[in-house]
Amino acid sequence: MKSAATPNVVSGVRHRSPTAESPFVRWLLIGGALLFLGLFLVVPLLAVFAQAFAKGPGFYFKTLADPQSLSAIKLTLLTAGIAVPMNCVFGLAAAWAITKFTFPGRNILTTLMDLPFSVSPVIAGLVYVLVFGAQGWFGPWLNAHDLRIIYAVPGLVLATTFVTFPFVARELIPLMQAQGRADEEAARALGAGGWQTFWRVTLPAIKWGLLYGVILCNARAMGEFGAVSVVSNNTQGQNTVTLQIETLYKDFNLTGAFALATVLTFLALITIALKAWIERKETTLKL
Amino acid sequence: MSVEVRNITKKFGAYPALYDVSLKVGTGELVALLGPSGSGKTTLLRVIAGLEFPDTAEGRVLFHGEDVTDMPAHKRRAGFAFQHYALFRHLDVFENVAFGLRVRSRRTRPREAEIREHVERLLKLVQLESFAKRFPSQLSGGQRQRVSLARALAIEPQVLLLDEPFGALDAKVRKELRQWLRKLHEEIHVTTLFVTHDQEEALEVADRVAILREGRIEQIGTPDEIYDHPATPFVYDFLGNVNLFAGRAREGAVIIGEIKIPAPGMTGGPETPAAAFVRPHDIHVTRERSGTATLAARVRHSHAAGALAHLELERLDNGEPFTVQLSKEQFRQLRPRLGERVYVELRNVRVFPEGS
Repeated sequence: MKSAATPNVVSGVRHRSPTAESPFVRWLLIGGALLFLGLFLVVPLLAVFAQAFAKGPGFYFKTLADPQSLSAIKLTLLTAGIAVPMNCVFGLAAAWAITKFTFPGRNILTTLMDLPFSVSPVIAGLVYVLVFGAQGWFGPWLNAHDLRIIYAVPGLVLATTFVTFPFVARELIPLMQAQGRADEEAARALGAGGWQTFWRVTLPAIKWGLLYGVILCNARAMGEFGAVSVVSNNTQGQNTVTLQIETLYKDFNLTGAFALATVLTFLALITIALKAWIERKETTLKL
Repeated sequence: MSVEVRNITKKFGAYPALYDVSLKVGTGELVALLGPSGSGKTTLLRVIAGLEFPDTAEGRVLFHGEDVTDMPAHKRRAGFAFQHYALFRHLDVFENVAFGLRVRSRRTRPREAEIREHVERLLKLVQLESFAKRFPSQLSGGQRQRVSLARALAIEPQVLLLDEPFGALDAKVRKELRQWLRKLHEEIHVTTLFVTHDQEEALEVADRVAILREGRIEQIGTPDEIYDHPATPFVYDFLGNVNLFAGRAREGAVIIGEIKIPAPGMTGGPETPAAAFVRPHDIHVTRERSGTATLAARVRHSHAAGALAHLELERLDNGEPFTVQLSKEQFRQLRPRLGERVYVELRNVRVFPEGS
C-alpha cells in the first residue's frame, strides 16, 4: 500500500486519496483555523498575562498576597470544594439510576438534568433568591432561625452546585450505557453484593470518565460568575475570585484584576492538560 | 446437584419469553437448551441464575430440591458464563478468576495462598497458565471464553450455566472448544446447562437436549432420541439435514406423487395435506425403476467432496428439490449425469399433518 502522499510513479500521475483536498484548499482551511485560534484564544491569553505584569512582578505578587485576594481564593476553593463532591455523588447516582434501571420518570429525569445547561446562570441565581431570600418562600422561617443562605456562603455553594450539576452525569451516562449491565451481572453471579459490585466492577470501569467529568465540573465551579453574582452581596470577604476580579475592575484597578485573573487562567490551563492526559489514558486503556 | 424449574412464565412487556416451562436436570448432567433466537433459552438460563425472576407465583426454581426462587443471584452459587464473556476489563486474567473468591465475606474467604493455588489450578484446567498477567483485551475470543469458564468454576458452582458459550467464535475454534468442554465436563462433572442455536453443537456435546420454540419446550431427550425420533415437524426441521415432501394423507397412508406410504398416525376421514420428512441418507437412488414404489426425479447437481457424496434432485411431478446423501462407493456405481432421470425410494418416512 502506498501512503496518500506518495506520488504514483508507475502512471506518472500524482494521485490523491479520495478524501484529500487540493493543497490550496488545505492551506486555506488550516490557515483560517489557525488565524481564528490565534486572534480569539492565544492573543487574549497573552493579554491576560501582559496586563497582569504591566506594573511589574512586584505589583503582581502584592495583588495576589492582598488579604482580599486571598480571601477570594479561599472562598472559591471552599465553594468548589463543596459543590464538586456533591455533584460527583449526585451525578454518579443519577447516571447509575438512569442506565442500570428502568423506572417511571426516567426520561423526565434525563431531560431535567440538562436544565442547568439551558438556563442562564443569572436566572439560576435569582431562583435561589426567590426561594431562600428575605422575601422568598423560606425567607421568614430562615430569618426566624437566624440562618443565612442568600448573601452568604451557603447561597454561593447552592448556586454553584446548580450550575455545575450536569457535568458528571452527562459524562457518565453514555459511558455506562455503552458498557451495559453484563459486567455487573457477572459480578453478582460470582457472589458479589451490591456495594462490592459497585466498588470492584462499576467504579473501576468508569473511573476515567468520572475524573473527566469532575475536572470539567471543577473548572466551571471555580469560573462561575453569573449565578454567584446574584446570590452574593459583593461585600468584602464574600467575594469569590470571579467576583473579586469584577470588584477590582470596577475600581479601575485593571492590573490588579488581571493579576487575579491569571489564577483562573492557570486553572484553565491545568484543566486542559489534565483533560488531554485523561483522554490519552482512556484511549490507550480502552476503558 | 440437580436443578429443576417448574412452571416458569416470563414476559418482557407483551412479548412472552417463556410460557409454563418445566425442566429437570439431574446431578452431573450436561443439558443443551437448543432453539432459534427468541425461543426463550437464554431467559430460562437467566431465571436459573437469578438474573431474571418468573412472573407468576407458580414459577419456581429448585437447586437440589431446595427452593431458591426468592434467593438473590449472588447467593445462588450458579456459575454463569456470558455470551460475550463479560470479563472485567480492568483486571488481569488471574484477578478475573479470583474475583468470586475475593468478594466472599471475611469468614468464608480463603487465605491469599489458597486463592493463588486455586486460581492457578483453574488456569491450568483451562490451559491458560501462562496468561495470568494478561488483560482481557490481550486475549483471543477462545481464550476469553476459557477465562470466563474458569471464573465461573472458581466459585465451585452448584450449577454451571453457559450462554451461547461458543457463539462468537469462528468455526474451527468452536469445534475444538466444544470437544474440550465435553472433556472438561467428564473431569469435573458439575451439573451444566448450556444454551445454543447450533444443533450440531447440542447433539455432539450434551447428554440430553431440550428444544425450545417460542417459549415452550418442544421436545427433550438424548441426542439419539431427538435425532431419530423428532416429536414435531419443528424439531425435524430445526435439526436440519432433512427433506420435506408435500403430500396428501388419507386412511392411514400418505400419497406423494405416484407413491403411497403407510402412515399409521394418520386417521381416516377426508383427505388432508401432510408433510413427509425423510433424511438425505434414507433415500435410495436407482437408474432403473425398480419394483417398489419409487418417485421419478431429475439430477440438478452433484458433489462428491468429503467422505460422502451429495445429489441435488428435483421431483419430476412438481419440481420440489431434495437432497440425497450416498457413500462414495454408491456414487461411483451410479455415476449420475446432470439432467438425467433417476428413481428414488424413500425409507424411514415420518409423516405429520400439515400445519401441526
